[in-house]
Amino acid sequence: MASREIVRYKSPARTMFSALVILFLIVFFVWTVLPLAIMLISSFKDLLDAFKLPAEGDWGGIGVMFDFEPTGAHYVELFTEKNFGEYMRNSLIASLGSAVVSVFLGSMAAYALSRAEFRGKRDLLFWIISTRMAPVVAVMVPLYVIFRSSGLVGTLPGLILAYTTFNLPFAIWILKGFFDNVPYAIEEAALCDGANRWQALRMIMPLVAPGVGAFIVLCVLFGWNDFLFASIIGSGGAKTLPVATAELVQPVKIQWGSIMAAGVITTVPMMFLGLLIRRYLVTGLTMGAVRE
Amino acid sequence: MTITESERGIQDPSEYRGVRRIDHAPQIFNNQPARYYLMWLLLPAIILLAGISLYPFVWLIYMSLHEVQLAPGKSDLWAGFDNFSRLFSDKNFARGWLTLFKYSALCLSVEISLGVLVAVILNNSRLEKLFITIFLMPMMMAPVVAGFLYMFLYNGTFGWYFWLLRSLGVLDGGSILGNKFWAMFGVVATDVWQWTPLIALITLAGLKRVPQEQVEANMVDGAGPVRNFFSVALPNLYPFLLIAILLRFMDNFRFIDTILIMTGGGPANATKILPTYLFDVSFKFFELGRGAAIAFTLLLLTILLGLVLTKIFEDPTRKIKSNGGG
Repeated sequence: MASREIVRYKSPARTMFSALVILFLIVFFVWTVLPLAIMLISSFKDLLDAFKLPAEGDWGGIGVMFDFEPTGAHYVELFTEKNFGEYMRNSLIASLGSAVVSVFLGSMAAYALSRAEFRGKRDLLFWIISTRMAPVVAVMVPLYVIFRSSGLVGTLPGLILAYTTFNLPFAIWILKGFFDNVPYAIEEAALCDGANRWQALRMIMPLVAPGVGAFIVLCVLFGWNDFLFASIIGSGGAKTLPVATAELVQPVKIQWGSIMAAGVITTVPMMFLGLLIRRYLVTGLTMGAVRE
Repeated sequence: MTITESERGIQDPSEYRGVRRIDHAPQIFNNQPARYYLMWLLLPAIILLAGISLYPFVWLIYMSLHEVQLAPGKSDLWAGFDNFSRLFSDKNFARGWLTLFKYSALCLSVEISLGVLVAVILNNSRLEKLFITIFLMPMMMAPVVAGFLYMFLYNGTFGWYFWLLRSLGVLDGGSILGNKFWAMFGVVATDVWQWTPLIALITLAGLKRVPQEQVEANMVDGAGPVRNFFSVALPNLYPFLLIAILLRFMDNFRFIDTILIMTGGGPANATKILPTYLFDVSFKFFELGRGAAIAFTLLLLTILLGLVLTKIFEDPTRKIKSNGGG
């Protein structure tokens, strides 16, 4: 790169500058990682160890953070007494169900929207994206009333439908961008070779498959991390991990150890999924506006 | 039937800011059977989406004009525009908007400046890969969990951040989230922690698209790195930053999980952004008619933002997708 080829002379100002840059990076690194580390560590601490804190201004006392007997009691408690196994299953079914429905129907619609030209297409696309952008609380007010009258509150199908309100428009919108990048020539060639339309569509599926897979994962992530829908629409029969975590807060005492453990349980699988789809993550989180 | 470019009154297709068109006319999709085929592919999704978004929207309008009765057997009372007119005299409603804008402005300004700074430092450095991996971690966390985690860190008896702030002598009060002044910064910090990485990743993607010739030309003209950033990189970054700002602003009122968990809008409404107020009205006081009216005003803002966003997404001259390809 050009910038590296230009000779830089060392000067005190320049050394200062790079020292500042490095310091900033270190601070930013610590700022990003420290809360995660504290969460992980605290989930293995018993009540007494978790409350240990050095005196104010006692910088040497920071080591107290690592001075504890690791215990897995919180995790055991969550899964044996607090039923977290079931909540985890609920989370998985609701988010995966909605993701599969959304991406399946979404990819069909996205293909059609990418290939067809018709009057009102722009308005249709606008409606789709604005559905996705609507504030969750605002959507939930009427949805709650409708679901209540049709007995969907507190059921997993209700929750799957609720998650689909944001996952389906997301899937349509983002997969349309994917199909737009696939040239018509492939389908044209397939049709010329005597394939029917459905077979032609199947020909281009391998080209979009990695994206489709990644967006299934992203839809799972959106559903898994949702709290509002789950707390109102899923309340009762379809409790998910975030709601169960929030319920660990009791008026008398907040069970911080368990909450941190529940946080780890909720977060770790999603982090792995995030790493898995790293290439598509920015595209997904920006609704396809930014490609890496 | 297909509308040709001349019918649209546009001579040069590349000038058309609307739906993206592919250079050669898709003859294979431009006949009746193909149209029916595509329509059938499109319909299931559209019908489902209409069922879960358009139908509730009609309900929302109905509810905003009624006094909704949740008890079984009672029918809703016609309220006309009462729910809306009451909003004008509702102090909390106006405050909710103000707090929302204040919250978003704080979040966005910190996130954008930090994110861009980090991205510029990391771009093309050896640490880039490592940091990108680390960036992913906060973003993947459920907002509720992030809320709890920060509550834990802010706790007045055993919270490490509380201890840090006290030790640094910044904080003189006895609590972070219980203090009217500090609570806002407390929730903003959580959002900043979670989402600055996204801004950094977007900026990094943008920096990769900065035309290298421009950078070189500028350096030949004697510009240093700082000058280079402001006169070459930043103008190229604008569309990316615009997207980032719009998306983050949107999410600021799309998701209120963190605030609900951390403060519930308190203390003394200091962090009660409008969606939080809407949540209280609808699901704490169960005044669903009034809630619907508030939700309606929020949706108007969404639609406005949506219009802006689609404009950006569809603009073929924007540099985001076109340069370099993906």
